[in-house]
This record gives sequence, structure tokens and C-alpha cells, in this order.
Amino acid sequence: MSKLLIVEDDDALREQLEIGLRTHGFEVVSVATGTDAIPAFEKNKPDLILLDLMLPGKNGIEICTEIRKTSGVPIIILTARTEDQDMIRGLEAGADDYVTKPYPIEVLVSRIKARLRPLVRVVEHPIVKIGPVELDTLSHEVRKGEKKIALTPLEFKLLLTLASHPNEVYTREMLLEQVWEYTYKADTRLVNVHIQRLRSKIEEDQEDPKLVLTVRGWGYKAGPE
Amino acid sequence: MVFSRTFKAARDLFRSTLQIRALVYTVALSGTALIILGGVLSVSIGNGLFSTRTDRALVESQRAKFTVSRLFAGMSPYNTWALDQTIQNVVPELESIGVSQTRLVAFIHSNIQTNPHKLSSPTSAGFDLSLVTDEFRTKVRENPDLTSQTIQIRRGGDSVPAILIGQPIVLPGGNHYELYLVYDMINEQQTLGFVQRTLVLGGMVTLMIIGFFSFLVTSWLVKPVQEAAETSELIASGDLDRRLPVKGTDVAAVLATSFNHMADSLQENIQDLKNLSTMQQRFVSDVSHELRTPLTTMRLSADILHAKRDDFGNDERRSIEIMHSQMNRFDKLLADLLEISRYDAASVQPEFEEQDLNGVVGTALASIQQFADSKGVYLDAAVPSGSVRCEMDVIRIGRVINNLLTNAIEHSEGRPVKIRVGQNKDAVAVSVTDNGIGMNDSEIAQVFNRFWRADPSRKRTTGGTGLGLAISYEDATLHNGLLEVTAKPGVGACFRLTLPKVHGVTEFESPLPLTVDQA
Repeated sequence: MSKLLIVEDDDALREQLEIGLRTHGFEVVSVATGTDAIPAFEKNKPDLILLDLMLPGKNGIEICTEIRKTSGVPIIILTARTEDQDMIRGLEAGADDYVTKPYPIEVLVSRIKARLRPLVRVVEHPIVKIGPVELDTLSHEVRKGEKKIALTPLEFKLLLTLASHPNEVYTREMLLEQVWEYTYKADTRLVNVHIQRLRSKIEEDQEDPKLVLTVRGWGYKAGPE
Repeated sequence: MVFSRTFKAARDLFRSTLQIRALVYTVALSGTALIILGGVLSVSIGNGLFSTRTDRALVESQRAKFTVSRLFAGMSPYNTWALDQTIQNVVPELESIGVSQTRLVAFIHSNIQTNPHKLSSPTSAGFDLSLVTDEFRTKVRENPDLTSQTIQIRRGGDSVPAILIGQPIVLPGGNHYELYLVYDMINEQQTLGFVQRTLVLGGMVTLMIIGFFSFLVTSWLVKPVQEAAETSELIASGDLDRRLPVKGTDVAAVLATSFNHMADSLQENIQDLKNLSTMQQRFVSDVSHELRTPLTTMRLSADILHAKRDDFGNDERRSIEIMHSQMNRFDKLLADLLEISRYDAASVQPEFEEQDLNGVVGTALASIQQFADSKGVYLDAAVPSGSVRCEMDVIRIGRVINNLLTNAIEHSEGRPVKIRVGQNKDAVAVSVTDNGIGMNDSEIAQVFNRFWRADPSRKRTTGGTGLGLAISYEDATLHNGLLEVTAKPGVGACFRLTLPKVHGVTEFESPLPLTVDQA
């Protein structure tokens, strides 16, 4: 049973979320303030965090940044603010996905499940290479030469998807479907932000990417050409 | 060509610059005054000079007559030889008397034919006798006093004015002679020339001084006007804090003061309106956001109940279903309100990307098919082969098309809905036509208004928010595109969305017609 940590300051919503998610078979821990979020995360070691952005004490973006320093645990932002800047800032701080209020429980559950689904293990050819970067699909380790690179599971999946078919162009919609498992239209900036984060970790020069290339008007592909 | 362009530029400058115009007028008017003054001066000085000269010439001629009389006094009329000698002396004698400049003398026998003693008719060297016309000679013969005439003589290649004075003289023995004296006016001419040159030069200098001073004066006068013009231009372009400096108490200061006053009240009004509209936008946005958290909670509660609705009795189950569907409707309304408030606050950040309109229309058709089927409406779609590429925000354009399709299906009264896609070199378009109830002109005028419904008494089947077309219109405008409508009551309605292929292009024609015909 997967354990979720809910960080939400609205009491009624938090309680209702707990009930709803419990009925869908999750183990749920919840806190009401930003200040309690990190201790609760360290104590409970949840499999996934549902994070409100507007929180007393410490806001969601700060919490996100702090958790990402030590952990790649999936984070889904719950936001009433559909204002793009907030969502983008949350994603840039390391959140994997977002859900905009008001959301039906099914949507939330499917987002959670998508993030918790384990990666398919390819036992025959466990190592996937892209330029100097090696992805080990068994240990989920990423190396660039001798250096180990820490990718979140989502970033790993994104890079693996691109690297499995080098030089094949993936549109943002395809990536949303294959990496995020969206079956309906979602904001393609989700992809843009994560590509940027991924590049900042694996590219020599972010401004002049050699491994994850932009194909103007279409999407992205794995290099090198 | 170049000249005419230069001329045109000069004319435009002349028309556009108040100062240059004032300057040109001042210089032209004072120039005219100076020319008139110079002319009058020159003429009167000339007249004075010439009349002085003429008077002196007349006096000298009078004196010449006495000289001649003295020469011939007491001479015998019969000593023809002595007489002729004296006649010969007349010319050198007269050439040397008097103070005036060179003069020419002619002493001519009145009648050459009846000159029995063959007396000579001497003239000064260089006296062109053709200057003395027969007409003038007749006048001289008939007038015992002096007769004068102004003539032009040649002097060193130049034509010089001169006075010709003639008088009859009777010599002893009854010989009738005519004495002609020519006084040139070369000195007077030179003096006049000098005076005229001085006048012209002085006039030009005066004109330049006038031009310079009027430039100073006009720039001093025009400056406040120019400042006012520049400042109002700046205010018009949005720099509302601009004001004119107020100096002194003259009319320019009054202009500046009232201008500033006007700018103050304008700025106040604009600021008030801005604040009001910002407050309103903020309010709508805040309300929408604040509603979201309780709505989410209620929605989650409703979802849980909805999932378990079969465990309840009939009435409870139906209530749960109604609550669930109304939560969805509330949800949509809130989303649309937020979207509109985002447009009002100009905080929309579209993502333009080249996309195939055929694909977007296809996706919209697929998603609406179920609704069309439920209404029994056939979707008659025809798209051009190949791709119809255009720079667009695909989510927004998809939403517009979806909206147009939903509206058309709702109002088509079960008749087929026609969907067309077209493109030309500048633009792409999609049109959605239904043969339903249509609209009259006043309805067409309001169709993009917020919360406006074609017929308030009509049943709201889809639970549309009333903001759909208003948002679609904003979406089209965001793309520099056009969302247009035509309709006839009882015939149907046609909505056409036209988008420029390249974002930012504003000159284009729609590749599709905007018409609605009887099915």
C-alpha cells in the first residue's frame, strides 16, 4: 500500500482528501502547515507528496526545493491558483506534476497512480546510452563518465523515453502521454520545464544542448545527431 | 523629379512648422516694404539729381547764348571769311566754359540750301548729329528760347542719359543758326547707381536683421506652443505625468496652467478608471480562486457519494446525481470566469506553435461526436487535403472550435452541421454552419457579449456558462484573428474563425465565405 503525504492548510479539504484517497486504497498522512511538511516527510518517508502551494509557514515552492535537495520522491502540486507563474514556479522547483482545483477524485487518483507506477525493467539490455550518459534501467542509476547524476524518477523516465529511440522526434503531447500518462490535453509547459531541469543536470552547456535537442515546431529528440 | 521632391518637402516643412511660417511671412512682408521704400527713394533721388543737372545745363546754355552773341558782336555781315572764322571758334569756345562735365556742341546753319556764303556748321568731335531729330530742330527754330530734350548717348560702349538743349541764333547778315549743346549725366548716373547699390545692400542687411530678430521673437513666442504640443503628444502616448513649466503671468503661462489643469483631471479620471477596473478584475479573480477550495472539497465529497450512490434510496440517489452534475457545471462556470478575468487583466500567456488546423478540427470533432449523436445531429465536415499549418495556441483554438461546434449542435434543431476548413497564402479558417433557428440582427450584435443567451426562454441543455463565445472572441483576437458571424432568423447561423498563418500578421483575407443558406 502506497503512502501519501498531503500538505494542505484547508481543514475541510484536507479531511475530505484523506477520506477520498483512503477509499481509493492509499495510506494517508497529512499536515496543515508548511513548517510541518519537511519533518513529516522525514518521519513518514511517503511514496508521494500532494502539496498545496499557498501554505502558512513555508510555501509549497520552498518545500519543493528543500525536498528535491535530498530526494526524488514524486511531488504533485495542488493549486487553486491557475495563474501560470505559480504552477511553472512549482514545476521549476522540482514538482513532477500539478492538479488544478477543483479536481474530481478520479483525476487526482490517476495522476497519483501514474507517478507511482514502477518503470518497466528491461533485463536483456539494461544499459541505455545517450552520448556520454548511461542509464541503468535495473538500478535506476545514471552516470556521465565516472560521475553519478541524481535524476528524479520522472526525469529518469523522460530521458529513458527519449533515449530508447534516439533521433526520433517526440512531440510534447506524446511525452505527456508516455511519461506523464495524460490521456487528455494538458499544459505542454509541463514538458518544457522538465526538459529544462533535465538539461541542467546532464548537459555541459544548457544553452547549447547536445543530448536533448529541441526540434522547432515539433518537440524534442535525443541526440547526439 | 528631385526638384519636385525637394519642393514638396519644403512645402510640407513650411506647412508644418509654425515658426518657419511666421518667419517667412515676416521676412516677405518687410522685404516688400523695403523694396517699395527703396524704389521711392531711388526715384526721388534720381529725379533730384537730374533736375539739378538740367537746371544747371539750362543756365549754362543761357550763358552760351551770350558768349556767342559776344563773339559776333560788331562783326560785318559782309566779311564772310571773318564770319566763318568766328563760327569755327564757337565750338572750342563753348566746350571750355562752365563748370560742368564734358559737353558737346553743334553750331548748325538752319538752312544748308539757302546758305549763299557757304558758312560752315561745326560740331564737337563725337557729336552724333543723328541724335538731333528733325522734329526737335523744327521745335528749336520755332522757339526763340531754350528747348530741351532728354536723350541717350553712347559713351564708351554704355548708354548714358544726357540733356540736349537747342536754341536759334541769328548771326549778323541774317544767317539763321541753331546752337545745340549736349550735357551728359554720367556723374549723376554714377551717383544714382551708387545710391541704388547702397540701398539694395542696406535693404538686404536690414532684411537679414529683421529675419534674425523675428526668428528670436517667434521662437520665444512659439516655444510654449511647441512645448504644449510635445507634452500633449507625450501624454497621449501614455506618459500621464508630463506637465508644462509655468513661467510668468502672460498668455503662455495661462496656457500652461490650464493645460496642466486639464492633464491633472485627465490623469485623475484615467487613474480612477484604472483602479476601478483593476479592483473589479482582482475581485473576479479572487472570488473565483477563493471559491475553488470549498468547491474542490464539495466535489470530492460529491464524488465519494456518487461512487456509492447505489447504496442509497431512489430520492437520495437522484439527489446525489444532481449534486454531482451541478458540481461539474459550477466547475465549468468558475473556469470560464477565471479565463475571462485573465483576459481582462491582460495576463494571458499564449503559446504559439505551428500546428495543423485539420488536426485540431479533427480532435474537436472526435470529442463532440458523442454529444452530436445524442442530439441526432449529423456533422458534415470537409477539410482540404494535406495539412493546414498555422501558428496558434492549440489549446485555445481547440477550445474555440469545440465551442462553435457545441453551439451549432445545440441550435441546429437536429439538422446537419457543416464544418469547413480552408486556407490561402496568408490565412487559415474554419467555419461552422447550422440550419437551426438563426438569429436576427440585434441578436447577432450581442452574440459575443458575456452571459448573453439567444433566447432566455430556451431550455439550457448543455449547461453552457454563457461565457463561451466571449472567451472564443478573446481567443481569436489574441491570435490577431477574426471570429465573425452571420445569421438569418429561421435559416441558420454561420460562425467563421480566421487566423493569420504567421502570428502578428494583420493583413489577410479569409479563405472561406461567411454565408448561411437555406438547407
